[in-house]
Amino acid sequence: MPYFDHSATTPIHPQVLETMNSISEIHFGNPSSIHASGRKSRSIIESARRTIAEAIQASHNEIIFTGSGTEANNIVLWSLAHLEKKHVITSAIEHPAILKVLETIAPLGVTFTALSVDEFGQVNPEDLKNSIQSDTGLISIMMVNNEVGTINPMNALIKIAQSKGIPFHSDTVQALGKTPLSVQDLNADYLSFSGHKFYGPKGVGFLYKKNGALLNPLIIGGGQESHFRAGTENVPGIAGLSEAVRLAVENISKRISHLENLEFLFKEKISIACPNIIFNGHPEHHVPGVISVSFPGHRSDILLAKLDREGIEVSSGSACGSGSVKPSLILQAMGILEEQNLSTLRISFGRSNSFDEVTSLVSTLSNITHV
Amino acid sequence: MSNPIIVGISGGVDSSVTAMTLKKQGYNVECVFMKNWEGEDETCTSEQDYKDALAVCNHLNLPLRSVNFSKEYWNNVFQYFIDEYAKGRTPNPDVLCNREVKFKAFLDFALELGANKIATGHFARIVESDGLFQLLKGVDGDKDQSYFLYLLGQDALSKSMFPLGGIDKKNVRKLAESSGLINHAKKDSTGVCFIGEQKFFKKFLKKYIPTQPGNIHTIDGNPCGEHDGLMFYTMGQRKGLGIGGGHGDKEAPWFVADKDLENNILIVAQGHDHPALFHQKLEADQIHWISGSPPHALENISAKIRYRQMDQSCKITTLSTDRCTVKFDKPQFAIAPGQSIVFYKGDDCLGGAIIDNRN
Repeated sequence: MPYFDHSATTPIHPQVLETMNSISEIHFGNPSSIHASGRKSRSIIESARRTIAEAIQASHNEIIFTGSGTEANNIVLWSLAHLEKKHVITSAIEHPAILKVLETIAPLGVTFTALSVDEFGQVNPEDLKNSIQSDTGLISIMMVNNEVGTINPMNALIKIAQSKGIPFHSDTVQALGKTPLSVQDLNADYLSFSGHKFYGPKGVGFLYKKNGALLNPLIIGGGQESHFRAGTENVPGIAGLSEAVRLAVENISKRISHLENLEFLFKEKISIACPNIIFNGHPEHHVPGVISVSFPGHRSDILLAKLDREGIEVSSGSACGSGSVKPSLILQAMGILEEQNLSTLRISFGRSNSFDEVTSLVSTLSNITHV
Repeated sequence: MSNPIIVGISGGVDSSVTAMTLKKQGYNVECVFMKNWEGEDETCTSEQDYKDALAVCNHLNLPLRSVNFSKEYWNNVFQYFIDEYAKGRTPNPDVLCNREVKFKAFLDFALELGANKIATGHFARIVESDGLFQLLKGVDGDKDQSYFLYLLGQDALSKSMFPLGGIDKKNVRKLAESSGLINHAKKDSTGVCFIGEQKFFKKFLKKYIPTQPGNIHTIDGNPCGEHDGLMFYTMGQRKGLGIGGGHGDKEAPWFVADKDLENNILIVAQGHDHPALFHQKLEADQIHWISGSPPHALENISAKIRYRQMDQSCKITTLSTDRCTVKFDKPQFAIAPGQSIVFYKGDDCLGGAIIDNRN
């Protein structure tokens, strides 16, 4: 079944699965136990931590394992409640794991400014500069947008934060494996990652916290993860996560060029087959293989259903809890009108997609839009 | 694969058995879940309903799609509902929901998906003779839902199926249970779908309409209490008047007999049999005939002025294509302006109209 929804989640990499299976089978010890089984589990986690740190050029004590990218975001944002400066600057196109959290923690005194984006989905660094208040305690801006793939001008944004001495967080769950990522180059204070976005397991992610950056735990208990995230560690998940990170970084140029080729082929063919389509997002500054495309005159929910019948899996803007399509807030923020918004599909390619699959995707799209 | 029949599935037992029945009959079935209301308040159960629908579809190995009609519902049903309440009337949003959403927006959606017909879990029957589609009562008289469907026209009926119209409700549950559907014992939805239980009603209306408290008078003009706003009351209402006559009280209970909109006065009468609560004639407008034109004979007709009422013999006199008077053989209790009057000849649902006033 051709799967083109890798921004939603990815199939697990066979090597990751093998790592997880072999660890699940044998190493059940609690990493906090001091006997041999516990010590083995501890060593698995610490070696995973070092592997991940090395892959993103961090130090091993800057990696905190979490249950998801969402949780990593939550730790950083809820942590604000303990600080004196409680104003946050974010962007209008963040994931609900940022925007809904900020709304939820308003009663704790947290206020926020959501910066608008341009027609391509980018935040303007000048806007950031102008929005800084005396009580701004955090800036949180995503690196790569999940719906249109646009990459924000991270270096310019982070430089502004630094010049004002304001900590900077970025939701980077859509970035790893699709664009080079080094914490040394970025120089952000906090970054959130999620395993299942890059062929790792679901239910495990991590937070990069620069040494010296302040953080208060959200989940309290037995003091795991240097007290930043209590709860017995998901040993096989963490091992799988580190294997997925390692593979993503090791193969990054190969993966990027494969995605670029698929994207190029798709865009070339679909532009001929359906000439009135519109591509959304930044033409240049975007991760490869993530395509937001509008089919004027067609409802995306109908297109999704017809593709589903053919066994083709893509997604549209945003689906709610009951699975129905609503106008995407991200496209709305980019100034795209509702009619186009509701005719938009997100196609996100992955490492296993082939040129043949892309060709058949185009011909199916062409068939169902020419009725 | 043949063109699909698209079943509107709600997560409830009726629409689930509808999908199952059609599948067993060999149709190519696809299911669509409609989300018609936005909001995360405690009364809205759509997320759980969707999960139930998904469980049923997975069990039956049927594809499930979702569609959001909350905009259509808001503009074409809810706005009317609020406007009517603001006028002190008692609207019926379900009849409009059927016309505007289920048998229009949803039907269009299904046709766009390539469907020949849609199917729903309504207890009613469609019969075609000589190219004319008739809407008949469901055979389970207690569950018959033709009352809610009287605004459908020939086009919608020609493209719809009601597979449960010939079954008893209790058999629907039995079928669901014997087939292992997880929702076989799920409670039927009651009340207005977007408000939920009756106890939330006042709170809900207050969110959308400014309240204007006023006085309660007896039918003879004597002040006897205060009301919270005329919109909260409907004709014949007994509960919640706060003027005695409750359970255990020796005095007979009070009932809403009328609303004086101009002076914002609620008028009540004492005793269920008080003549002020009964009317033999009403005037209705927005007439709709299912066949597309009025029946030849307007006598020997019966009508329901509320869902599940026994058929009442009456005579219709049309005043115009849009307006009619109806004279009942017997006086009717608590005729409520804004409600639908639905006309029948035997099992045949002929159409209906909206009650405007009574006299």
